[in-house]
Amino acid sequence: MKTMADELFGEFREHSVSEFFRRNAAMLGYTGKIRSLTTIVHEGVTNSIDACEASGIMPKISVTIKRVNDEPEHFKIVMEDNATGIPEQYIPDVFGKMLAGTKLHQAMQQRGQQGIGISGCVMFGQITSGKPTTVVTSTGSGEAVRAEVMIDLDKNQGKIFNKEKFKEKWRGTRVEVEAKEVAYQRSRYGPFNYLRMTAIANPHVHLTFAEPDGTLTVFENATEKIPDRPKPMPLHPWGIMSDDLLILAKRTKARSVSGLLSTELSRVSKAKADEVCRLANVPATKRPAELSWEDAEKIVTAFKQVKLLAPPTSGLRPIGAADLENGMKQVLNPEFVKTITRPPKVYRGGLPFIVEVGIAYGGNAGKAPEGKSNGDEIEEAGMDLIRFANRAPLVFDQGGCAITDAARKIDWRRYGVDVSAAPLTLFVNISSAYVPYTSAGKQSIADEPEIINETRTAIMEAARELRLFLYRRIRAKERAERAGVFEQFLPIIARKAASLAGVSEPDVKSLLKKVSGGIEHA
Amino acid sequence: MPESRQKHHKKALDSLAGLGKGIIEDIKKAQPPKLKIPSRSTNNIIYDKKNRYYVLGPKYGLRSAASMKQVKKVAQLLCTAEFAKDLVETGKFATLREMYYTAEGWEAGPFHDQGESDAIIEDLEATFGLKRESLGLTPEEDGAAVFGQLTMKEGDTNIDALKSGRGGYTIPPTIDDVEFLKCKAKRVIAVETMGMYHRLIQEEAWKKFDALIVGLKGQAARATRRFLKRANEELGLPVYLNCDGDPFGYHIGMVIISGSANLAYINHELAVPDAKYIGVTASDIVNYKLPTDKLRELDVARLKQLAKDPRYNTEFWQFEIKKMLEIGRKAEQQAFAKYGLAYVVNEYLPAKLKEVEGQTHLGKK
Repeated sequence: MKTMADELFGEFREHSVSEFFRRNAAMLGYTGKIRSLTTIVHEGVTNSIDACEASGIMPKISVTIKRVNDEPEHFKIVMEDNATGIPEQYIPDVFGKMLAGTKLHQAMQQRGQQGIGISGCVMFGQITSGKPTTVVTSTGSGEAVRAEVMIDLDKNQGKIFNKEKFKEKWRGTRVEVEAKEVAYQRSRYGPFNYLRMTAIANPHVHLTFAEPDGTLTVFENATEKIPDRPKPMPLHPWGIMSDDLLILAKRTKARSVSGLLSTELSRVSKAKADEVCRLANVPATKRPAELSWEDAEKIVTAFKQVKLLAPPTSGLRPIGAADLENGMKQVLNPEFVKTITRPPKVYRGGLPFIVEVGIAYGGNAGKAPEGKSNGDEIEEAGMDLIRFANRAPLVFDQGGCAITDAARKIDWRRYGVDVSAAPLTLFVNISSAYVPYTSAGKQSIADEPEIINETRTAIMEAARELRLFLYRRIRAKERAERAGVFEQFLPIIARKAASLAGVSEPDVKSLLKKVSGGIEHA
Repeated sequence: MPESRQKHHKKALDSLAGLGKGIIEDIKKAQPPKLKIPSRSTNNIIYDKKNRYYVLGPKYGLRSAASMKQVKKVAQLLCTAEFAKDLVETGKFATLREMYYTAEGWEAGPFHDQGESDAIIEDLEATFGLKRESLGLTPEEDGAAVFGQLTMKEGDTNIDALKSGRGGYTIPPTIDDVEFLKCKAKRVIAVETMGMYHRLIQEEAWKKFDALIVGLKGQAARATRRFLKRANEELGLPVYLNCDGDPFGYHIGMVIISGSANLAYINHELAVPDAKYIGVTASDIVNYKLPTDKLRELDVARLKQLAKDPRYNTEFWQFEIKKMLEIGRKAEQQAFAKYGLAYVVNEYLPAKLKEVEGQTHLGKK
């Protein structure tokens, strides 16, 4: 006989993370028709670049956006890379399971961090168009796999349909997402600008983009140098949160909490781990699997009371001033570029980060891409601020970002720049294994004072060079004008004076040299 | 060519050549040519008590060929000078406006407006101390007319100011090209209005007073003033000015006597400091019981202005200005018609002339 409780608990089920995110798609960046499309491109391209870099491959990525059935808000997004490919058995987890991946537990400075990106695309495509995502992948074995993937939202599991294998000499992964309720625009928020920004910050990446109207844009790679592979780094206690600790606890081989802390975290000795456990009032010998949320919270708090060595900075991978300069030159074709990679700094007392700044002036710099804004923000002429975190473009939420704040705090007039009119692109990239995003959408950086100050310092350093350049340019222009004026009028003066005096015309060359040589007279 | 013309002709050509030579020397030494141009701003216009007219003070401006802002102006000034040289050499004249249009084709570029080209001509006039007419450049307007016993020669043409029709001989802007041949007149009577001019001709005042009758047509044109100056200097004739009895009439006379402030740079060519005012005065208004008009506000203001003007700083003028303000009335020359058309010639002018001729050594009755 069924009790009331049985009946009641018959409705009980575990809500999967995918179910959770299906209800909260906005947190993943699926908000607004233009932004949703850009998010899909972002997730695909980010995964591709990370995959190439992890295996030391020069990334060659193509993105194609096509209309489906001429419907205005129905698109197919095809993204292809030349990375290692995905072994067949991992396809369901990579594309169909949230929070699964190779990144979260490694604390590497990579673009992606949480392992929800590409499965988010699959989910978004699925719930808007009802269609599965098609994956074609090959590890270069001479054989490729084609499969259609959908997410079982209840179980947070990938489901595979129509899997087929065929002979193919190609290596890489091709993902085809079909989505509705998205719109294509060449605005600041659209995929074109996103890819253009990606090209600047990733000069080693070769990008091809085909727009719905058939326009093909190739962003050639500006360097042949592949960035160093990211080194896996254990997390540092200053950067962890309770759920990080719980995830580590599930995976660890350590048999005690004390062991968990000293083996899985950076800069934590056995003695420190015991000290923290004592402070947190958590038994050091407790089995990691039995660690509760409350325990984790107490441990995170306790870490703030002990002295620790700051995290190592060796894992930071800035773009490098030279490569960034190449990237900016390649994409913007400017008259002036100054790029700066600052030495590592820390925030929150020890979390390392590196600020990189680039200023490009003239050429295609400063001009926002063609097309109108989506109405959220008025598109301005003049300075274009492009923000990056670990080389990934931050396109949205510009207003609340530490980078924007830092750029606004600068008195640009001091550098001879009229922000509202100058053809200027200001590039800022924050590299860190612990980028303090303001939200899961990862589109803006929290206003950590150290990050704002360091960014401001870096911008001013680059702007000083710009001021010199602008000053020299004005001087050169003035000199040329000056020389032109004298070249025009001094011979006339000589000729007319000779005519008045009734003598032959004198040579004005030495006078001309003297007056137009930049020496100011009267 | 008349003597005065010859003199000016030579001075013009010498000045222009001198300007050229100075610049050539600078260029040969690789020194940026600099032109010193007398300043015509109001703070450099001063009243010369000795000569009794306005002159330019010692201030001058520098135009440097080494200055980016001025080199074009220097070139334009030289183009203008060359243009003037051609005019002087060929004996031709051009109006200021014609020159402005000619400049369209110059190497140093056209002027933005005629004000610019006029200013450069004034620069040259002030620099050389020569009036524009001597540089072959003339204003648009003719002078007024002269009637009387004077014969002149202009090129191959003989002129008789008695036989140029009832209106007399019209004084051209190029009056310096006209040579005075023979003059039987003993004085010049210049009148403000053409109405009075014709009255004097009809009443044969030229014969009665042995006078050249000049009509001013209001404020005298440069050509008229130049004619009066020449008649005074070359023919030794005293010049008498008969104007309306109001502040504007006073001043028409005074500009002929002492020159105007804005032509200070050239007043030595135009002012006739010995000319005498025999126009209607406040005393005349009272003495002759002339029909009058009430002074307007503008007249009162102007009279007060004149009272402070250094040119009016004489007992006679101060008295008459004060008196006109007292009576608050003004009268025109033609008001004498109250006593008949011939009254002015038969009564008024003889009395006036008698009054002034005693004071001057020039001319005899």
